[in-house]
Amino acid sequence: MKTFLYALVFLVLLLPAAARSLAQDVTYQQLLHADETPQNWLMYGGDYSSQRFSRLTQINRENVHNLKPVWIYQPDRPLRPVETSPIVVNGIMYVTEPLSTVIALDARLGTQIWSWSAKLPERIYTIGVHRSNRGVAILGNTLYMETLDAHLVALDAITGAVKWNVHVDDNNQGYAMTGAPRVLDGKVIIGVSGGDVGIRGFLDAYDAKTGQRLWRLWTIPAPGEPGSETWGKDMAGTGGAATWGTGSYDPELNTLYWTTGNPAPDYNGHNREGDNLYTDSILAIDPDTGKMKWYFQYTPHDTHDWDSIQVPVLFDATIDGKPRKLLAQANRNAFYYVLDRVTGQFITGVPFVKETWAKGLDAKGHPIVLPDIEPTPKGRLVYPDGHGGTNWNSPSYSPQTKLFYVSARETGAYTVAGEPKVDFPSFGGGGRINLPADQVYGAIRALEATTGKMKWEYRMLAPAEASTLATAGGLVFAGSNEGNFFALDAETGKLLWEFTAGGSDSESNLITYSVDGKQYVIGASGNCFVAFALP
Amino acid sequence: MNLIRCFWLSALVLLAWTLAPNSPPAARAAGQEAPAEQGAPPSRAAKAPPDLEDGKQQFAQNCSTCHGVDAGGQEGPDLHGVPASLGDAAVQGIIRRGIPGTAMPSFSTVTDKQAADIVAYLRTLSGTGASEKTIGDPQKGEALYNSSGCSTCHMIDGQGGSIGPDLSRIGASRGPTNLKERLQDPGANLPQVGGGIFGGSLTQYLMFRAVEKNGQTVEGMRVGEDSFTIVLRDAGGKFHGLWKPDLRSLEKEPGKSFMPSFKDTLSDAQMDDVVAYLMTLKSAQ
Repeated sequence: MKTFLYALVFLVLLLPAAARSLAQDVTYQQLLHADETPQNWLMYGGDYSSQRFSRLTQINRENVHNLKPVWIYQPDRPLRPVETSPIVVNGIMYVTEPLSTVIALDARLGTQIWSWSAKLPERIYTIGVHRSNRGVAILGNTLYMETLDAHLVALDAITGAVKWNVHVDDNNQGYAMTGAPRVLDGKVIIGVSGGDVGIRGFLDAYDAKTGQRLWRLWTIPAPGEPGSETWGKDMAGTGGAATWGTGSYDPELNTLYWTTGNPAPDYNGHNREGDNLYTDSILAIDPDTGKMKWYFQYTPHDTHDWDSIQVPVLFDATIDGKPRKLLAQANRNAFYYVLDRVTGQFITGVPFVKETWAKGLDAKGHPIVLPDIEPTPKGRLVYPDGHGGTNWNSPSYSPQTKLFYVSARETGAYTVAGEPKVDFPSFGGGGRINLPADQVYGAIRALEATTGKMKWEYRMLAPAEASTLATAGGLVFAGSNEGNFFALDAETGKLLWEFTAGGSDSESNLITYSVDGKQYVIGASGNCFVAFALP
Repeated sequence: MNLIRCFWLSALVLLAWTLAPNSPPAARAAGQEAPAEQGAPPSRAAKAPPDLEDGKQQFAQNCSTCHGVDAGGQEGPDLHGVPASLGDAAVQGIIRRGIPGTAMPSFSTVTDKQAADIVAYLRTLSGTGASEKTIGDPQKGEALYNSSGCSTCHMIDGQGGSIGPDLSRIGASRGPTNLKERLQDPGANLPQVGGGIFGGSLTQYLMFRAVEKNGQTVEGMRVGEDSFTIVLRDAGGKFHGLWKPDLRSLEKEPGKSFMPSFKDTLSDAQMDDVVAYLMTLKSAQ
């Protein structure tokens, strides 16, 4: 009898624990096939291709007009801006809030399950950095999160308990972290912010189990290394090239694609004559070694703050009768680029918003830079502005329509050159004066993915910093800077649904998921996360 | 950028203004001596005058990344009028020590003198016309204000209409040149409110003409707008909330205003008098 009781107690204790630990367990195999489990949203970008396309069809172009808010989640201590990209695993949602907080929610009800906040120092240097966080990654039953003061933290997905916490680099030198990590097989890849205040950028890989650093790839070459000759004087050590976007991954090619930010100081390139490698570039990396396979620089010697950290979207298409593995990026510098993601070869590039700095791109994809585009002490009007033709917010790609959906910003700015100062935290070479709000606008644009040709646009009031989400329901969801959420017909751009959430800056990346057979769409505006579903 | 955000920014500035220490409201009005300077010991008067050129340079190097080169606000807030609201010493302190818990760092590499230069430079940007001379007669101006029908549309200390903006503190926020231009050509160079995180400044009092699907036309001043809606206030003060996708057309009417020009009804000297009167309006009741 006693034995039986012991056994019973043992079972009672063990079974729920086993069930729970399995409940949030995400294997690398699941991550590889994330698109096949559309009830979950397992990672930044939806899957490794970052297409941000969902196979869910319950909400579709016929019924989307019935979409209603079903719950709203508001942070305890509202601190704008909320920029998170939620992930959803088996009915549990993980969102992050400024400054460095992660929340687990019941994805069907919006009820908070646990919350974890990093203990941050009172003073954190974030010049040129949004004091925000763009989301977590999951592998096994562990969440990975970057903190504003440049730590990488591993948390238990069931309880929020800290498994390990590593100090990535020194915030007193300008390093800050705001991105969503990218998890591969047993590795966590993270980038850093701080490119406007003279960090030397890098990309790091950590062992997912132990937090031990596996490799560091500097995005600016050391003196004597190839590429160091593109830096004039000795500015390379403080040249920026931050890595604050989240990269994409091709498992077949075992290649990681990660983007880099602007050179520093901004707006004045006199101290850094040359192309300034590897700023404003995309790097193709072997994730096993951290070695670069190839690179492509979008904006050499940038003096307009055009970080190239926009999400690289991987897709396959036939070009001139040949099947090709491609990589598309709508860049802050106003051009939409298509590259061969095996070789890095440039295929095509066209402006997707007004630009006045380049005549076009040459056969290799280098910009044919116009004269008289450099910032001047009095200010020179250049399109696009410093926030660019689009910014960090994710675009999407639909394999059904073969269209690339991007939030386009039609705006220019007067760019002003000052005397460069390179003494952290005083680090700058000028700035910009934005055009009046009534002279600029935004739009959601659908581009033919292989050519960049615009198929349709839907106009917005302000040049938005918004993501798009494409679904197999024939829809594109997006947000505006004024707090509107809306759905467009993915083929025609026709407005099918709108909801005014108020607040402003619907900046978080919209995602969709389902629980118990019901599909939800969620985004954040101002401080509120709003989940929508059909009645 | 939306009007709500502008409202909150204005509210913040107003709050800071209300909270500024040790000085009656009138003395805190933009363009006047800062309260901190008023209470300063005499020895400070002997200090070197601020170097505006240096202030401009220091601002570009230290501040413009977040606040924009025109201090109109980008990731950081719009700084126009902030020294006038908080006092020079307070702003210098913020530059040197930062605001813990926010994105505003301490600039330890900026000296006290340089911080003072930055603040002096900021004061030159506020556009409040502090250095401009008012030449008219305010008493005559007040009489003209009352006889010209201004109060039909404008309110001063709770008295008057509400079609146009409240003028109770207009003397603290505009200069004489600017006010005279308003009298001559009210629809030209409409004021812009800045400070949007990602957008530039927004034109206030801009007129729109909307044609609804049934052909009905609404003309009015924009009081609120987003990507899908716009709210116009017509000449009678009535609000019209419109759903943009339902409109046949929506046009801006730059240069237009509900306010008539006084170019032909008042003489140049009379306009100076009205301006002189308006410049005395610096504090609400």
